[in-house]
Amino acid sequence: MEHSKEDLKDLYDGNLRWEKVKEIMSQPKDNDRFDKYIEILQERVPWSEKILLPLNEHLHVVQKDGERIVKCDCGQEFGDYRRNWKLSALIYARDDRQKLEEIYPGVKCPDPDLGEIREYYCPGCGSMLKVESVPIGYPVIFEFLPDIDSFYRDWLGRPLPDEKEYKDLSQEVIKEWATKV
Amino acid sequence: MSEHKGIGDSGRTLKQMLEDNKRLYEETGCYAGVTDPHVLKNDPVKAELFHSRLVSALISGRETTKKVSGSPFVREVAELCVGFYTPEGDCIAQSTGIQVHIRCMGDVIQWMIEHNYEEEVGIDDGDIFSCNDPVIAGVHAADVYDCMPIYWEGELIGWVSTVIMEMDSGAVTPGCMPVPNVERATDGLKFCAEKIGFNNKLRRDYEIKIEISLGLADLFLLDRKGAVAADIRVREEVKNVIREFGLDFFKQATRELIEEERRNQYKRIRQRTIPGRYRDVVPCEIYMADQPVAWLPGKKDMIRLVPMQMDILPSGNIVLDFEGTGEWGWHPFNATPSGLWGGISIAVVQTLSYDGRGNLGSLLPFDLKPPVDSLLNPTEVKHLATSTPWLPLVDMCSLWLGMLGSAFYLRGFREEIYNYRSGSTLQMAGYDQYGNKRPMMAGGLGHLGAGARGVCDGIDAGGWIGTLEVDLGADEVWELFVPEMEMGKQLDPYSLGYGKYRAGLSLPKITMIHGAGLCVAAGLVGCAHDRLIPNIGMFGGYPGSKRTTFLLRYENLAERMEKREPLFLHGMDHPAEFIDRFPGEVIPLSHMPAPMEVRNGDVVFSDNGSAGGLGDPIERDLALQKADLDNGLANEEISRNVYCIAANYDEKTKEWTIDEAETKKLREEKRKERLSRGVPVEEYWRKIRQRVLEKDLDPLLTEMYQSSMKLSEVFTQEFKDFWTLSEDFNF
Repeated sequence: MEHSKEDLKDLYDGNLRWEKVKEIMSQPKDNDRFDKYIEILQERVPWSEKILLPLNEHLHVVQKDGERIVKCDCGQEFGDYRRNWKLSALIYARDDRQKLEEIYPGVKCPDPDLGEIREYYCPGCGSMLKVESVPIGYPVIFEFLPDIDSFYRDWLGRPLPDEKEYKDLSQEVIKEWATKV
Repeated sequence: MSEHKGIGDSGRTLKQMLEDNKRLYEETGCYAGVTDPHVLKNDPVKAELFHSRLVSALISGRETTKKVSGSPFVREVAELCVGFYTPEGDCIAQSTGIQVHIRCMGDVIQWMIEHNYEEEVGIDDGDIFSCNDPVIAGVHAADVYDCMPIYWEGELIGWVSTVIMEMDSGAVTPGCMPVPNVERATDGLKFCAEKIGFNNKLRRDYEIKIEISLGLADLFLLDRKGAVAADIRVREEVKNVIREFGLDFFKQATRELIEEERRNQYKRIRQRTIPGRYRDVVPCEIYMADQPVAWLPGKKDMIRLVPMQMDILPSGNIVLDFEGTGEWGWHPFNATPSGLWGGISIAVVQTLSYDGRGNLGSLLPFDLKPPVDSLLNPTEVKHLATSTPWLPLVDMCSLWLGMLGSAFYLRGFREEIYNYRSGSTLQMAGYDQYGNKRPMMAGGLGHLGAGARGVCDGIDAGGWIGTLEVDLGADEVWELFVPEMEMGKQLDPYSLGYGKYRAGLSLPKITMIHGAGLCVAAGLVGCAHDRLIPNIGMFGGYPGSKRTTFLLRYENLAERMEKREPLFLHGMDHPAEFIDRFPGEVIPLSHMPAPMEVRNGDVVFSDNGSAGGLGDPIERDLALQKADLDNGLANEEISRNVYCIAANYDEKTKEWTIDEAETKKLREEKRKERLSRGVPVEEYWRKIRQRVLEKDLDPLLTEMYQSSMKLSEVFTQEFKDFWTLSEDFNF
């Protein structure tokens, strides 16, 4: 079952009537969904680099000059997709009661002695890209490292040029920071 | 070699059949060596009829149980499920309901086979076996599995098993899922796949044992009879199916149903997800220091990390690795690998295998890796209490659904995102309104808001792990069983996870104890969090709020009621004013308070947070927020502070209006504020690194990290690498 691009746009924008949403949920899934999805996302960004994969509401892995980088809708770039993009973001840690109570007032407030709420913002547009609730001292979570080449090669049947090693490179960033300690 | 002629196919023993099945799977990669599934393919209409007959029998069996049982858990909540299995204990089809247990019940059958029940215990037509011991398989002792063999002309051709959750398993106070319980002996009655009946009837001596052991013996025995009724109904319908379709077709088709589902599951994974590594973490708060337990090593507070890594491999296999999980402990919250499979089973039928064809094949692409001696895989399990492994399991599964939801999102199937929140409240034991001493566990934790979907808001009061049917039944029926009255129902706007799409709102549990005699309350734990909140927000959405439980004690209830003064029990209202607003004592309780005496007139108030929002809240659609405001699901404070939406209430029209120009301004200011207050992560890293180096963390946290480091070199190295700590660093 295939769905029109217009219906999918409305689905993603929350503009599709519920009966149609339910129909899309219940029917066998459409095999061309990913291609239409990428087309829709590509039409919505103001830049021309090819989107290989979305990462969240604003970030995408894109092909740029033989490299694959993470890029925000607004154009802000976060570096190689194999490095945790959060390391290149801005962070605001809600780590005391006053900051936490702005969101979780009174008895709803978690305990700042144990945990914190980390908000990650895009340095370009100020979009909130992720909210992370973890115990203090827990390393920044690299939520998703995609195996892009296997995906395009083995699942979609159209390998990408310039295959990259499937490897977490976040430690390169940390090592660089450590040299300044 | 035994000369025993087997009760299985072609005179084989069940043990031989099980070994053959495993070998064939290893050799061919296909279930039972079915490399060429053809009978279902050759006649799809016949295949559909065949499967429908089996599923109908299971659902019909489940409905039968609801008519026989007396427990509101069965009749109102439908906390039961029925599964149909191959002779080797592999699930072929399952009813609706608490499908958590479908694989676990198969594990029990395999345990019986491996322990040579065929020769040493005997497996005869009409026998009834019962198991509620997670040392064998299962999640916790309150879930009782009753299983029966299905024979055809002297050959065992399958099994049927029914699970029901019991309100009383004979455990230490409060009796069902007790927290002050760190040893096996205080877990209550355990049935280790025992033969509790034959000739389709319960043994009288078994019934006597129940009658003299349990406060709720009548309900327990009615549940067994209900389970046996379901089993018999399914068994006889399976025989009808064999008469109609033929034994050869039956044997081949049942195996093909599993192989077909295995293949379909791989297709779904490859069609709907993206291969790669997904990560998250569940910190599990366990507060046992004040619990009245005799085994003193159990009196300890701790937090245990459960890091989760889901690897979706190019093959379509999904590996769930829990490397870095902290140690098991003397408490009732340790899970077992079988329990983990239970969690995955219920999550799978809500996300991938929801077409009614779920069975063992749905799980074959999965591999679980719980570290030995961790909270998820204790080797000491034989000595441990196992009443409440839901503590790690519910949160773990809720975050796993979040990870899987991310995979759907990345592939474009945003409409498939779904998750839920864990919760907790109080349960009681003592003298009920009829003068009987017994456990008194009510049905609800309060209703939990489901997580935001990728294309719309989450369902209010609509997210719970146990069953797809989130229905706690009629309050009036529960009031007959437990000496408490439902006092108020109001969705809580402060419970939810905010976001572009918000989570559903939670509905607090507000009950007044009424008609009880001497009565003790303790924690009913279905969540890992108390002082923390789970990491359950997606893509810029916030997690739902902290869970809360309060015991409210009026200063002058009788007088207040006499004067018809307000009881202030309709809902939470503003969380910052809640404690001051209540006319009496407000006792905040953790998710596992030590047992305490409670009295008639006391109120239990549990308001669990809901699941997570999705997307940046300042991108929320104005019309959605206006609808929430008009429906009383949000207020001006939340609209302005969280969503940056300027809203005004029009007294004349009784509607809210949105000031779009002011909203635009507020949102632009919020972006500027974020850019101004946000710091580079490098700066944050230096600050926290210093705290880690100086061990400037709460002792609960340093002990938590120590525990994970003790079990895992991989976790230790990653932790040290991230904070660039020396090799000899330790907390």
